[in-house]
Amino acid sequence: MAIAERTAGTVSPPSVSVRPGWAGWLSTTDHKRIGIMYLVSAFVFFLIGGIEALLMRIQLGVPDNTFLTPDVYNQMFTMHGTTMIFLGLMPLNVGLGNYMVPLMIGARDMAFPRLNALSIWLFIFGGLMLYVSFFVGGAPNVGWFAYAPLTQKQFAPTAGVDYWIIGIGLTGVASIAGALNFIVTILNMRAPGMTLNRMPLFVWMQLIVAFILIFAFPVLTVGTIQLLFDRHFGTRFFLPNLGGDAVLWQHLFWFFGHPEVYILILPTMGIISEVLPTFSRKPIFGYAFVAYSGVAIGFLGFLVWAHHMFAVGLGPLANAFFGAASFLIAVPTGVKIFNWLATMWQGSLHLTTSMLYAIGFISMFVIGGISGITLASPPINVQQTDSYYVVAHMHYVLFGGAIQGIFAGIFYWFPKMTGRMLNERLGKWQFWLMLVSFNLTFFPMHLSGNEGMPRRIYTYESEMGWNLWNLLSTIGSLLLAVAFLLFLWNVLTSIRRGSIAPADPWDGATLEWSVSSPPPVYNFAVTPRVRSRRPLWDEKYPHLHEVNGSHETPAARLRGLLYDGAEGEMPMAMEPIHLPSPTYAPLIVSVGIMILGFGIIYLGDFGVIAASAMLVGLLIMATGILSWVRISHVDSPYQAH
Amino acid sequence: MNTLPRSFLRWSRFLLLIGMSVVIAACGNNPGNTYDPYGDNARRIYELLIPIWWMALGVFVVVEGLLIYAIWRFRRRAVGAAMPAQVHGNTQVEILWTIAPAIIVLVIAVLTFRTQAENAVMPDDALRIKAIGHQWWFEFQYPDLGAEGKPVVTASDMYIPVGRPVTVVLESQDVIHNFWVPKLAGKTYMIPGKTNFLTFTAEQPGIYRAVCAEFCGEAHALMRFRVIAVDEAEFNRWIEQKKTPPSAPAGMLTVNGLTGDAARGQAIFLDARKQCIACHAVEGTNARGQIGPNLTYYGSRQTIAAGILPYSPDNLDRWLRDAPKLKPGNLMSRVLTPQWIKANLSDQEIADLVAYLDSMKVSVTLPPER
Repeated sequence: MAIAERTAGTVSPPSVSVRPGWAGWLSTTDHKRIGIMYLVSAFVFFLIGGIEALLMRIQLGVPDNTFLTPDVYNQMFTMHGTTMIFLGLMPLNVGLGNYMVPLMIGARDMAFPRLNALSIWLFIFGGLMLYVSFFVGGAPNVGWFAYAPLTQKQFAPTAGVDYWIIGIGLTGVASIAGALNFIVTILNMRAPGMTLNRMPLFVWMQLIVAFILIFAFPVLTVGTIQLLFDRHFGTRFFLPNLGGDAVLWQHLFWFFGHPEVYILILPTMGIISEVLPTFSRKPIFGYAFVAYSGVAIGFLGFLVWAHHMFAVGLGPLANAFFGAASFLIAVPTGVKIFNWLATMWQGSLHLTTSMLYAIGFISMFVIGGISGITLASPPINVQQTDSYYVVAHMHYVLFGGAIQGIFAGIFYWFPKMTGRMLNERLGKWQFWLMLVSFNLTFFPMHLSGNEGMPRRIYTYESEMGWNLWNLLSTIGSLLLAVAFLLFLWNVLTSIRRGSIAPADPWDGATLEWSVSSPPPVYNFAVTPRVRSRRPLWDEKYPHLHEVNGSHETPAARLRGLLYDGAEGEMPMAMEPIHLPSPTYAPLIVSVGIMILGFGIIYLGDFGVIAASAMLVGLLIMATGILSWVRISHVDSPYQAH
Repeated sequence: MNTLPRSFLRWSRFLLLIGMSVVIAACGNNPGNTYDPYGDNARRIYELLIPIWWMALGVFVVVEGLLIYAIWRFRRRAVGAAMPAQVHGNTQVEILWTIAPAIIVLVIAVLTFRTQAENAVMPDDALRIKAIGHQWWFEFQYPDLGAEGKPVVTASDMYIPVGRPVTVVLESQDVIHNFWVPKLAGKTYMIPGKTNFLTFTAEQPGIYRAVCAEFCGEAHALMRFRVIAVDEAEFNRWIEQKKTPPSAPAGMLTVNGLTGDAARGQAIFLDARKQCIACHAVEGTNARGQIGPNLTYYGSRQTIAAGILPYSPDNLDRWLRDAPKLKPGNLMSRVLTPQWIKANLSDQEIADLVAYLDSMKVSVTLPPER
């Protein structure tokens, strides 16, 4: 308040708000633009990852095929997994979160807008570095899980693994910075009255994911740096013949890798927890149970990593523990599914494309959850692990689940982000085509896996009896590609010619629908006051608002009242709007870090040149940091309209 | 409404047909089918899967049924339909559907732990076989059955007796591999620097397909082996022959239009300049290479190059000439390139080599392929 009084009236509209054209994007610190950059770049990577998958499916369409060489095939599945997880799904979720979280909590930006810009650039450069490997000796070919000691230089001599380490490292820094940003934003920048128990569930899930991320990702970073040192600087962390331990890598990797699954799926559970109530015209059923089952999943997610290692020989006791912990996850997951069903129950279901995708999420995620149960059982697991059954399971979770959830979110929020509606008819065609072809692609994999088809093989013999399943999968994957082309076409045409989106096209309940589509750069001219879980809904339908409804605890109600009581003291219209200035500093820092990364990759082989590159990178980075520090206190607030 | 049951009937008949054909296909005796177990370990796993499968089907039907019913029953029938009741939750049903899945997984856990305990038993009288993973082939040693303390060593074909527990001692020479005989037992990793154990009993004689199931580099897909389960008497007959070195080679064999001479082939094989013995061993000769597979009694192998080609002199001839194409990345052709082979081995010499390798045979009555 003191700041508000000091700055009000002394500062006129800002000298610089948004630079025009490309410069505007390169220098932006606006969470909305950064969100769009995440979504667009992640979608491009996603399409590339999809092309890699198609090439693999073409190779496996018939037995004894020679379309790809084994080495190219190995590069394809390594890059497909790495791309989809680190450069596709994760940043798609981050992009939606980046755009929506501040809007949903009534904030004007993320807590650290420049750090936010650093995250997007590090992510993009990390992704590009991974793909540079194709042109300098071959992409990584050791699997996205990079099991030691296959990753050691004697077995993987190309620089592909090094590019993988540095590329993943950059996106990892981006993710950790992003997670801290989300945590601070969500905990500190909610509009007055928005207690934790009034937060939209999407925000809840983003908060949980951010916490998972800061505990899980550093473990991967440590592991990959150890691997880098093994490869180049004479350490032997993962070299068994020199006193290291190959299994150590698996523990480090899966301690990250399993929570990573929840990093991918929880935000999409958040999305459908927004979409289902909106299109059922009811509040979410069991808000607290949905929120806290997310917390439970996030917590349990750290106790189950060794279920990826049941065949490693950790012993029956360890396997039993990790099996039991994995079974437990079925409980909070079941709770979520039943609450979603109950949300739809006796609602007035509006079957928009977004809603179809949310329903598709539930129906397919259930199948992924069921196959997860058999995989969590150690004895069954040792038959199914490393077979196509796992490929089926994982795609039912991450494609049938996460991707469909993301589509639900994109069809839901596209109007908000662009001011244009996506074509619903095209969207529904896409949904049905995708649902059918998804099942055609991945359902047969359950069968080929249980009939003995191992993963990561570039060819198989005709007499193994997997021909039909593989052919069906390949046909399905080609149809899936058509579904994605439909979506691409839909976006490209709708963004120019789609019908104009009103502020609140779906009769939504949360704050993002209270501002124009697309929102102004400052989001809210006046910071909203929040008195319930559905602030906009209760404003639109005051007669439906249950002030004393069972959905709020007495404590939360009390906190809400305190905010309401303070209302009179707050300036409502004259509040100056504080927005960060655009700056190139994060971009410059990221370029520096990337050059540093190139230097590290070649330090072992071309010492002098690489060291000079590192020096140049450090200098660029230092320049960026200096300019970052200099501009950090010259942000110009401007007057509300 | 009258047509609904009829079309429903038609659809369900159609779905039943699809379902049945899937089940029939799934139960076919494909060589790698885990639904078709011939070993106690794999059978117990299969028997655990069945009740879990039924529970899973129940969950699937309930959830998808509720979902489809909700869509059909509660979909908005008109624009401006009445606002539904704003129900926020119900603690009793929350408790109910927290406990229900908990009970289901508890049952599954109890069944799981029982099977786990049964499959972890390692009887003292089990036959020990050491299996070592290499990029990209499997080596097998019988440490307790060799002559004069030397184990019987072979590769790619693992002979076991039917009805007697076998404990496979799993190790790796280079990277992580994964030992998988789908019809006999679940997978166990072969990890460098770590020793793993897997016990199972083959219940029926048979030749069982087996693979490396963990990605292990370029030719991972081509790293296979066979488990040949024969009755105890036949197994003992096999091991007795394996203990004795092959007798002096003799005989002629027509390969690729040329007549190979086994005795001449042995001389070429043992000629250090031809490089064979740098990596390969044959018992009873000076060939003591340890890097590649032991070739003693090679003529009785089921396959060439770790399960990728059926064994025949013609295929062996192909393999010697065309190894990089047949198995990309394999160590032999990385060292002895096709150019090197062309320069150092004439067609006649290759025919002689094939004749030699083919001349070393053990006599075993082979069981059927499973």
